[in-house]
Amino acid sequence: MAEPTVHVVDDDASFLNAMSRLLRASGYLARTYCSAREFLAEPHGDEPGCVLVDLRMPDIGGLDLQAAIAQSRYPLPVLFLTGQADTASTVRAMRGGAEDFLEKTAPKELLLDAVRRAVARSRHELEDRSRREELRARFAAISAREREVLEHVLRGRLNKQIAGDLGIHERTVKVHRKSIMTKLSVRSVAALAQLSQEAGLPVHS
Amino acid sequence: MSLVTVVWSMIAAACLTLAAVHLPVWWRNREARATLAFSVAAICTAAIALCELAMLKAATPADYAAAQRWMNLPVALLLIALAGFAHHYLDARLRWLAVTAIVLRLVSLAINFSVGESGNFLHATSLHAVELMGEQVSIASGERNPWRAIGHLAIFLLMLYFIAASVHAWRQGRRAAALLVGGSLTFFMAASLARAFLVSWQGGDAPSTVSLFALGVVAVMGYALSADLLRANQMVIELSEREREAELVADAANLGTWTRDIVRDTVVASRKLRDLFGFAPGERLSGEQLVQRVHVDDRAAFRDRLSQAARRRGEYQSEFRLVLPDGRLRWVAALGQVDFDAHGQPVRSRGACIDITARKEAEQEMLRLRQDIAHVGRVSVMGQISSALAHEINQPLGAILRNAEAAALFMKHESPDLHEINAILEDIRKDDQRASAVIDRIRTLLRHEQVAMTSLNVRGLLADVAMLLRPDAAVRHVGLEFGVPADLPAVRGDQVQIQQVLLNLILNGMDSLEGLNDRPRSVTVTARRDGSKSVEISVSDSGRGIAADHFDRIFEPFYTTKSKGIGMGLSISRGLVEAHGGHLWAENSAIGATFRFTLPVAG
Repeated sequence: MAEPTVHVVDDDASFLNAMSRLLRASGYLARTYCSAREFLAEPHGDEPGCVLVDLRMPDIGGLDLQAAIAQSRYPLPVLFLTGQADTASTVRAMRGGAEDFLEKTAPKELLLDAVRRAVARSRHELEDRSRREELRARFAAISAREREVLEHVLRGRLNKQIAGDLGIHERTVKVHRKSIMTKLSVRSVAALAQLSQEAGLPVHS
Repeated sequence: MSLVTVVWSMIAAACLTLAAVHLPVWWRNREARATLAFSVAAICTAAIALCELAMLKAATPADYAAAQRWMNLPVALLLIALAGFAHHYLDARLRWLAVTAIVLRLVSLAINFSVGESGNFLHATSLHAVELMGEQVSIASGERNPWRAIGHLAIFLLMLYFIAASVHAWRQGRRAAALLVGGSLTFFMAASLARAFLVSWQGGDAPSTVSLFALGVVAVMGYALSADLLRANQMVIELSEREREAELVADAANLGTWTRDIVRDTVVASRKLRDLFGFAPGERLSGEQLVQRVHVDDRAAFRDRLSQAARRRGEYQSEFRLVLPDGRLRWVAALGQVDFDAHGQPVRSRGACIDITARKEAEQEMLRLRQDIAHVGRVSVMGQISSALAHEINQPLGAILRNAEAAALFMKHESPDLHEINAILEDIRKDDQRASAVIDRIRTLLRHEQVAMTSLNVRGLLADVAMLLRPDAAVRHVGLEFGVPADLPAVRGDQVQIQQVLLNLILNGMDSLEGLNDRPRSVTVTARRDGSKSVEISVSDSGRGIAADHFDRIFEPFYTTKSKGIGMGLSISRGLVEAHGGHLWAENSAIGATFRFTLPVAG
């Protein structure tokens, strides 16, 4: 997986610079944006990372940016930085799903810790997502008929019963079964059931 | 008893008495030369009366002529005395007339004692009697002295002199003196001339009655002088009365009064004034002593006022502190004026002082309270923008911390990139300055010191204010615009107070845009020259303007339409602007409202 990138959005050039240096010194890739618009102009989300957002910005503010990110295709975790914390903004930010809410003058340990957690979470989500996509691709390879057979197998029906249900020969059923197992790369029915569950198919026991 | 003897003796006695009464007056006041002339005239008249008595009672022509000879001496002196009296009492002109007359008369006197038996007779040959007051008196006849014309000419010249003197006095407005004194002197001379003509030249028959006429003149002169004395007396009484009244009034009003004789440098001060200044009742005072009591810091200004009044011949007013002998301080208001003599030199100054300590203390207290209120207003304004300001400070502080942490981590490398470290250090320095600038401006605005009027650059003022307001404006999505022409003159004012006014007006402008999204949100501050002596600064917003029913009330204290305001901002701002000598007012523009205020140009 790619190196995690931390995106920093702040209208204050000096703080942007300093934050970027600290992140680089701590081993992250850092990218800076001096306005929310600049950040939203590019697509994000196919690498692990997080977004550090200044709460108070002219034009599109921090909270609005958070809302926009949440609506995006692959939302990154959002960390808020502020020069002036007030309760209302904090609550709104956390409700909107912010990863954390920190003061700009907080010690680096707190900051980097929050970044680490956010990056980890982003990595997990990315992994989950790629796994899901891989599964979807695998299942997409199954034909319609095979799909029907799979459903019956997942219901726990024997080959003979499936043949009777679908009006086909038992031998055909066995062939379909083998094809499914191969396409999905599983060796046992238990594994098949687990995979199917992961993919989101209904499983009856 | 001989009536003539009695009458002529009485004349002599009366004249001597008059002289005796008036001579001491001259003795005490040598300037009263008219009085001296009068006394001399009176004495001479007495002598004339006695000689004349001898003449009237003469038994032989030789006696008559002798008496007449001696009589000419006091007559001459009398004429000199009368001329002197006219000169001093009537302030006569044409002195040469008098001088010539006197010289002639003296010549005539010399002739009187050298030629013939007297100035009138070369040789008196016979006596005959006439009736006067029921008795027989003597008249002589004989060879007349031809030189008697000189004496008569002298009398004629003196008459002219007296006429001129009367006219002059009349013109001067001293009509009573002109008529009475001048008139009787002239009449005396005229009568003498007439008699001389009739008797001496025409051979008429009349006894010598010079002393009667002389008495008449002396009586008139005496009356005139007495009237003067009486008037002077009355004036002195009135003056005392007035002085007492004035002192009572001054006392009742708590005024201390003083009069200073500049020439002799002595001061007469009322009891109240002495109390005020801390001088003892009997102490001798000079002008300088009074000034020494004035507080050192106020002395120069006070002296300046005095000299201005002396130059411009006017009154002066001054307020200053006194330092009493026991160290106490007192505030005093003084009013005075300078009097000048005929040559334009200051001769006297007079004035009154009153204790205004209570009033001054109240004024100072009020000034302190005003400053307190202004300070509260400032604190409130700062409170309104405090969170934006805190953000503005935390930005650089946060950047400094992050930079320092990054540098520490970089330094842990095997070979740290020194260029990067240098860049970090430079950035830290700049951020520190940034934070300091904001903090300085906040501290300046929050300080609570005495007003300090200096020359202020309008651009600089607006730049400071902009720095404090931009964060807040950014969050509230309001555009701030400033327009100051390059040639705008500097203004005179207190930096803190003017910035407070600007903050108040601009924040108000931003408040008026609250919730409005159908238009560009901006507050514009411009400055322009207003005439040669002032500068006008205006703050306009693009809001909805001031409602008609609020318009008259917005400058009232505690009046506000905002839910979170105490309503003091505009009231305080107006007070501050007016304390600078300017005006603050509001107008509704095509879009939004505009507040304008003026400040005086510096220098």
